[in-house]
Amino acid sequence: MAPAAAETLVELGVAGRIVAVGDFVDWPPILAGLPKIGGHDAPNPERLVELDVALLFTAASAAGRGEHARLEELGIRVSALDTSTFGGTLAAITEIGRQVGREPEARALRERIAGRLEAVRQRAAMAPRRRVLVAVGHDPIFVAGPGSHLDELVTLAGGENIARDALSPYPMVALETILERAPEVIVDSADNRLGQPRGWTAGFWTKWPFLPAVAQGRVAFVDPWQLLVPGPRLAEMAELMGRLVHPELFGAPRPEDFAGAPAADESR
Amino acid sequence: MNAPHPDRHPDRQANPQSDRPATPARRLVLVTLGLTGLLAVAVAIAVSFGAAAVPLWQRLFLGSAWSEAQQAILLALRLPRVLTAAALGGLLGVAGVAFQALLRNPLADPYVLGVSGGASLGGVVALIVGVGGLGVPLAAFIGALVSLVAIERIATSGGRLTVLTLLLTGAIFNAFSAALIYFLQSVASREELSAIVFYLMGRVPSSGALTLVGLWAAGVAITLALFASARDFNALTTGEEGASQLGVDVERLKRRTFVLGSLATALAVSSAGLIGFVGLVVPHLLRRLLGPDHRLLLPAAFLGGASFLVLADLAARTLAAPTELPVGVVTALLGGPFFLLLLRRRGAGFAGSAGSRNSGGSGG
Repeated sequence: MAPAAAETLVELGVAGRIVAVGDFVDWPPILAGLPKIGGHDAPNPERLVELDVALLFTAASAAGRGEHARLEELGIRVSALDTSTFGGTLAAITEIGRQVGREPEARALRERIAGRLEAVRQRAAMAPRRRVLVAVGHDPIFVAGPGSHLDELVTLAGGENIARDALSPYPMVALETILERAPEVIVDSADNRLGQPRGWTAGFWTKWPFLPAVAQGRVAFVDPWQLLVPGPRLAEMAELMGRLVHPELFGAPRPEDFAGAPAADESR
Repeated sequence: MNAPHPDRHPDRQANPQSDRPATPARRLVLVTLGLTGLLAVAVAIAVSFGAAAVPLWQRLFLGSAWSEAQQAILLALRLPRVLTAAALGGLLGVAGVAFQALLRNPLADPYVLGVSGGASLGGVVALIVGVGGLGVPLAAFIGALVSLVAIERIATSGGRLTVLTLLLTGAIFNAFSAALIYFLQSVASREELSAIVFYLMGRVPSSGALTLVGLWAAGVAITLALFASARDFNALTTGEEGASQLGVDVERLKRRTFVLGSLATALAVSSAGLIGFVGLVVPHLLRRLLGPDHRLLLPAAFLGGASFLVLADLAARTLAAPTELPVGVVTALLGGPFFLLLLRRRGAGFAGSAGSRNSGGSGG
């Protein structure tokens, strides 16, 4: 199952019913030690049957659809979720709640998240828009574009995504464009390896000292865990984006805002 | 060889050593100058346009000023990238001519002899291990050299390098590398996976000054080294036996060509991934325009390949701006239909003048 679904299930209080997780699920810590049975949209069917899985949450994908239909034939209920946007994430919470019979809890969670998102929006509403770049890859440079939850987070938190007019949610963008559009804030979540520099540091962007973000010390290296997996932590993500884009409104980011998952820290 | 050329006058300094009317040195100079001019125009256009607007000519001619960002865009990003594209296109064009001559098959391209597979594999391994920056091209180049030596060893039997064995070894090597890359992709994380996919698609980097000088020096050196064998390549089109009878050391020529062409390919693939069609379309187009003489073709392929890739990369940078397209997509979209058109027209010409041209032969 996808990381976002895992987090939601734990949040809804049904962690005990989870028998296996996807390869990339390492959060929340309560799920550590469960068997890992496959990647993105293709869990191992033999393991699913072996573990007597009744319900599978997985990422919606055109390539996985055939496989999902086959699993249904094997008597495994498949719920394919698309959590790539705000709407998708909130809908996924409702869907997960419905599938596991925790609809009231899901509704409450959803309302809680929506309320906090709205609070972020209101707080940032009057602030001047800052030009923001969210980098998710360096070589080549991939950034958050329209249709990604990151783009929505930036907008919500009083920023203006400089890759707003790109063609896809995670476009490869010319460095030329970035230099020309002169971001005032750079949120860099490109490197998911442990031990990378985190915090307000120009790092990769030092080469371009004339960028307002570099000149004003507004380049934040943030562990991808903080921002890249939309799920029940969506509200926290929005608040963090607020602290990164408008610290004068939302308060300065805390040290742990830049770090990876707490559990991952302990095992370091 | 002796394709009729209405504009070619078999006169001037007829070369007594040659069995046919020599191409006048003047023609070489004209073609080289003309294509150098084309490359200069391509470079000028390519540095004028990009995802960002930089008033290049206004500054040069009207003295308007640049912001720091514009200066960096032009001098640190765009110009190095255009010059890199030129060097890589040149390397691919020359490698294409070399391999087509070596294999006596017009369908050969720089990637056919397996070195590209080794290079891609090296690059992908570096991506997975996580050595960023120059580590990837370096690992790719090492992969290419290792496969070059291995292929050469395997394809040599009894001190002879057989073209057929070479071709088969190269094909197997590429298939094997591709399988290993698929394996690595299947165990890679999603971030690594997307890095690998985009690496393999081909992309022209903005090289640093040192890399740039290295690529250009290698490009020019390889072109000159192959140019030194141009006459032998012309003889080779009559077949290995024919060339031997004309006094060509065929074994040495084959080995030299394989190594030089592979080095050119290795440099191109390790710096930019797999950019297709440059090494196939450019030699073909030039052969149509200039005739099959390798003395003209080799320098022309460098300059023509350079111009082609510079313009293709311009399209990759600007067509969907600010999104960048992989340049390999552009070269394929431009090169594919163009190549088919060329084949059709060539086919018609071929039927019309059957027998007058022997460079295509059974391979065409």
